[in-house]
Amino acid sequence: MPYYQTWEEFARAAEKLYLTAPMKVRVVLKYRHCDGNLRIKVTDDAVCLQYKTDQAQDVKKIEKLHGKLMRLMVSKESGAMDTD
Amino acid sequence: MVLLENDSFLTELTRLFQKCRTSGSVAITLKKYDGRTKPVPRKGHPVNYEPADNKCLLRASDGKKKISTVVNLQHHVAMKLLMFSALHYNYFLVMQLVHLYLVIKGCPLL
Repeated sequence: MPYYQTWEEFARAAEKLYLTAPMKVRVVLKYRHCDGNLRIKVTDDAVCLQYKTDQAQDVKKIEKLHGKLMRLMVSKESGAMDTD
Repeated sequence: MVLLENDSFLTELTRLFQKCRTSGSVAITLKKYDGRTKPVPRKGHPVNYEPADNKCLLRASDGKKKISTVVNLQHHVAMKLLMFSALHYNYFLVMQLVHLYLVIKGCPLL
């Protein structure tokens, strides 16, 4: 699957994918210090959404999305999330 | 795969980041966890576990070493903050070194 060009599109698609199949979806963060880039992948083994960045401001956005998904996974209610 | 407590996981994660400074990558996986400790049984056999709805599994690997931990509702905020602070420390260290190099060289871009 290709990488998303904009963060907003990726975040929206990732939240939607998680809400359709919470038990199947996994979030993978891959950090390469030697290349200086961070990649995030959200997949349910059928659909694969990916975003990569080498910008410091995107790291904060990735952290926020990761935190939101983690909060959804550990909370008992399943509700829609606000997109940033 | 080594299953660790939350604080041991963070210590080992920091070590993975330090080990992969010059080459390699660190992958962190997050997945919802339902409390299973044994494989799914065959048809006709009873399912013998207490389903949990408030846990997630965090795994980290550098390709060779694998570590994992289970995060509950009460610890997820702290885990997220500490995990990303370890990432930030490694990431921004590179940025600071690059900035310092450009300052020393008297780069007109700064």
